[in-house]
Amino acid sequence: MSASDIVAILQGAVVTVTLSLVGILIGLPIGLALAVLRWADVPVVARIVAVYVSILRATPLVTLLLLLFFALPNIGIAIGPVSAAILALVMNTAAFNCEVWRAALMNFPKDQYEAAQAIGMDAPQRFRRIVLPQIVRVSLPGLVNEMSLLIKVTPVLAVVGVVDITRAAVRIGAETYEPLPPFLVAIALYAPIVFALVSLQRWIERRQLFAEAAA
Amino acid sequence: MSKFAIASCKFPSRRLLLGLIAAQLFVPLVPMLAGKAQAAGLDEIKKRGLIVATEDDFRPFEFVKDGTPTGFDNELIEDLRKYAPFEIKQQILPWTGILAGVSTGKYDVAITAAIITKERKQSLDFTSPIADATHYYVKRKDDKSISSIKDLSGKTVGVQAGSALLARLPELGAMLEKEGGKLGKVVEYTSYPEAYQDLALGRVDYVVNTIINLKALATEKPNVFEVGQPVSGKSFPAWAVAKGNTELLEFLNGFIAKEKENGRFAELQKKWFGEAFPNLPVAFEPEF
Repeated sequence: MSASDIVAILQGAVVTVTLSLVGILIGLPIGLALAVLRWADVPVVARIVAVYVSILRATPLVTLLLLLFFALPNIGIAIGPVSAAILALVMNTAAFNCEVWRAALMNFPKDQYEAAQAIGMDAPQRFRRIVLPQIVRVSLPGLVNEMSLLIKVTPVLAVVGVVDITRAAVRIGAETYEPLPPFLVAIALYAPIVFALVSLQRWIERRQLFAEAAA
Repeated sequence: MSKFAIASCKFPSRRLLLGLIAAQLFVPLVPMLAGKAQAAGLDEIKKRGLIVATEDDFRPFEFVKDGTPTGFDNELIEDLRKYAPFEIKQQILPWTGILAGVSTGKYDVAITAAIITKERKQSLDFTSPIADATHYYVKRKDDKSISSIKDLSGKTVGVQAGSALLARLPELGAMLEKEGGKLGKVVEYTSYPEAYQDLALGRVDYVVNTIINLKALATEKPNVFEVGQPVSGKSFPAWAVAKGNTELLEFLNGFIAKEKENGRFAELQKKWFGEAFPNLPVAFEPEF
């Protein structure tokens, strides 16, 4: 393995991190929105969300991606590899995030909500000030878990031509007929990426603990 | 959740009904999504450029070295850029999506070594062959139990999933049966590097691929691998376009004919395959 091979894998790491971040940042609020729609039991919409979540949780990401990538152009929607990859990631992770958020919402103590109502907070205020801060804390471990799964599922995006860490490693192996060294480098790169995510979670949790202790 | 649980107890058919409604919504989409895209004719290609798909791990045809695509097909694409009166847009992706992408119109042509088979000819058209790709087997150099075709009987073989090499394994099966043997277990891989690695590790006993790929492998790793004998009849790889895209096919065949004429084809074949194939047919009708 040459220095330029390492550079190629590092470029793959940039792609992996970027796609994961974009997927997480878009998928997280969409998941929350879907969960709120179900929690509030909005007529019809809540049902559609339930069906969406069931279908998406049952569809392998790679299948969804191939379908989007090859089928959308047939109905006149031009889609490139990167946008198809992001769309598939977001559709997939939003469904899983929805369930994590929903679990927290369902366990949210009703008396707090009613107390907020009693002192005259309107619905958006109740959600922003009372519900959200508490469900974020409860959901965090589950959400970070889903995020780390998302990072590690990015190699399947390679089927449409996205070159992530793993694909970059595969290419080097195909050129040198020595697949092991590039794979070792690849693994060594995934570990710090996921570790950074988990450290972020720890930091947020600690900050919340201090905030509570201060209160 | 309790709300929904009660609801579904009271109306057990509601969930089913909703499912049916959802199905009604999605079913009309299916033929729309699966519908054949119109392959772009030359006029459209002249306007928007030719979208070419190549592989990234198929040495010596196409592979990536130091971040740049290289190999036999990629050098031809460089020539094609000069030859074509329009822009060439290249997409590099794994084999899995390439032929599907061409038949659905996502890419105009797969510039890779797609072996011409009867089955593929149902949805694709092929250019003039670019090499002779008779199928051979490769074994571990230190494996003394294999020295001829009949020794392959009952041994585990590795091939690429969805490949013509897999489709033509029955030919080897017939060869073995004639000698009283039989084809052993078949292991399918998404691409060849994994198959070679498993061969080196001893998980499979031999791997079947085209002579060109195997010679490149054995040249690079002479202490690990050794190429055996042919396990198929004539087989040719070519570039693939969507079925019925005759304009583009003729254009590409014209390019290949010109490259053959000016000696560039033979030069590139010698450079990447170690030998030139001067007697390639202009068109090939597959038996399998």
